[in-house]
Amino acid sequence: MLLPALLLVIGILVPFVQGVARSFTNEKSYVQNSAFVGFDNYLALFTNSTFLVGLGATILYVVLVLSIQIPLALAIALLLEKTSMMRRLGRNFIVLPLLIPPIVAGLMWKTMMQPSAGVLNYLLNIIGLPGSSWLTNPETSLVSIVVIDTWAFTSFSALILLAGLQALPESLREAATVDGAGWGQTFRYISLPWLAPYIVLVALFRVADSLKQFDLIWPVTRGGPINSTRLLHVQGYEEAFRFSSPAMGMAIIFVLWLIIYMASFLLLRLWRRTINAVE
Amino acid sequence: MRNILPKIGFSIAFAGLAIFILFPIFWILLMSLKDYADVIAYPPKFFFTPTLENYKDVLFGGASGGESGSGEFREYLVNSFMVSGGAVGLSLLVGIPAAFALSRDRVKGADHLAFTFLSFRFAPELAVIIPLYAIFQQLRLYDSYLGLILSHQLITIPLVIWIVRTFLADVPLELEEAAQLDGCGPWGVLLRVIAPVIRPGIASAAILAFIFSWNNLLMGLVLSGPNTRPVTVGILQAIGFDQVRWGWMAAAAMIAAVPGMIIAVYLQRHLIRGLTMGVGK
Repeated sequence: MLLPALLLVIGILVPFVQGVARSFTNEKSYVQNSAFVGFDNYLALFTNSTFLVGLGATILYVVLVLSIQIPLALAIALLLEKTSMMRRLGRNFIVLPLLIPPIVAGLMWKTMMQPSAGVLNYLLNIIGLPGSSWLTNPETSLVSIVVIDTWAFTSFSALILLAGLQALPESLREAATVDGAGWGQTFRYISLPWLAPYIVLVALFRVADSLKQFDLIWPVTRGGPINSTRLLHVQGYEEAFRFSSPAMGMAIIFVLWLIIYMASFLLLRLWRRTINAVE
Repeated sequence: MRNILPKIGFSIAFAGLAIFILFPIFWILLMSLKDYADVIAYPPKFFFTPTLENYKDVLFGGASGGESGSGEFREYLVNSFMVSGGAVGLSLLVGIPAAFALSRDRVKGADHLAFTFLSFRFAPELAVIIPLYAIFQQLRLYDSYLGLILSHQLITIPLVIWIVRTFLADVPLELEEAAQLDGCGPWGVLLRVIAPVIRPGIASAAILAFIFSWNNLLMGLVLSGPNTRPVTVGILQAIGFDQVRWGWMAAAAMIAAVPGMIIAVYLQRHLIRGLTMGVGK
C-alpha cells in the first residue's frame, strides 16, 4: 500500500540529491560541459555581497513576520473568542486571504501601495497620517512586503490560536476566576501556558514559510529596489533561470534548505517539549 | 457603564479587522469593474459607472490587443484545472493507501516516513524544481500536463497523507477489527469500511490540495511553457516593462481567486486541520 507513495518520495528526493550534487559543479545553461569545482560556489557565496545582503534580509524578514504576526494573531484569536457572533462572522471572512493565490494578494497590495496614485496613501492622508513610498523605496520595501505577508497569513496563525483557545477546558478558567484572578492574570497564568504549543506550532509554519517566501516578492518587486527584497528563494530563482547558473542557484537553495531544516528541527523539538509541559 | 465600554472597544477592533481583511479584496473588485480612465483617476474613485470590459478582455480578448489580450486566459484556466485536478487525483490514489499504511503503526518507522512527507511542506520548492527543470527537458516532460502533475505532488501528497492520517486516527479500532474478523484484507478494510467513514476527511484533503496546487506560482513559472501555462503565471503578463495593465490584472486576479473564495465558505470546519497538515487539530 505504501509502495506508490514511496516511489513518489524517491521521485522527489532523487532530483533534490542530484541538484545538490550539481551545486558542486560550474554548470551553466549555455555551456555544454561542466566540471566539478568542490566548494567553490559556496565559498563564492560568502564573499558575494548580494548573497550576504539577501541572507540578512531573509532573516530580518522572518524576525519581522514573527514579531508582528504572532502578537497580532493572538489578539485576533482572543477577540474572536469573545462572542459567538464575532466568531462565526469573523471566521467567515478571515479565511479569505488564505485561499486566494498569494500572487493575487501581492498584486492587490502593489496596486494599493502605489506612492502617488494608490488608494492606501490617499486613505492615510484622509485620516491625517503621512503616506509612504512603500515598495518603491529600498528603506521601506521590505517592511511593505511584511505588511502584505501580514495580510495574507496572519489569519492562518489566528485560526490555529483560536482553535487552541477553544480547546482550553472552561473549568480551568472558571477555577481561576473563582480564586479571584482578573482577566490579565487568567490570561497570564492559564491561557498563555495552555497556548504555548499552539504558538510554537504557528511559529514553525511561519518561520519556514517566510524563510522561503517567493510568491509575495517576485510579482511585486522582483527583489528590488536595489536588492532590498532579494530574499534567498528569489536569488536562487534568479541565479538558476535568469543568470543561467543552476549550479549557483542550487548552492543558494541548499543553504536556504539547511537554514529551514535547522530552524524547523529546533522548533519541532520545542513543540514536543511544550506539549509535555502542558500535559 | 463598566460593561459597555469594553464591548464598544471590541466592536471597534472587530470592525478594524474586517476592514483590514476585506478592503483589499473589495478594492481590487472595484478596480476590475473600472475603465482605464477610472483606474488611473486621482483621487481614487469609489463611485463610477461599472463596466465588464476588463473581464471580457481577459476571457475573450479585446481592444487592448497584444499577446495577453487575445483571450489566452481561458486556456490558462483550462491548464490550471487539468494540472490541479490531475495532481489531486493522483495524490488521492497514492496518498490514501499510504496514509492508511502509516496509521496505527502498521509499518515499522511509520512516524519517520510520515515526517519525511511533512518535511516536503517546509522545504523550499526550488530545491526540487531547479533539478526537475533539467530532468524534464531530457524526458520531454517540460511544458506537459504530466510533468506538472508529477511536480505538484510535492505540494499535494503531504497534504493528503497528513490530513487523511489524522482522520484515520479518529476511526474506532473496533470497526477495523470487526472487518478483519469478517475476513477482509488490508485493502478490503480500507475500501469497504474505512473509506466511507472518513469521506469528509478525504473531501477536505482533496479540496485543500486543489486550492494549494491552483494557487502555486513557482512550478508554473519554471516548468510550464506556452502549452500548459497556469493562471497564476498568466496574471504576471499584466505587468509589462513600461506599464501595468491594472484593469486587466484586477479582473484576471478576481477570476483566479474564485475557487479559493467559494471553498472558503464551504470548508469552515476542516480548514484548520488542513492548513496545519493535521498537526494542530
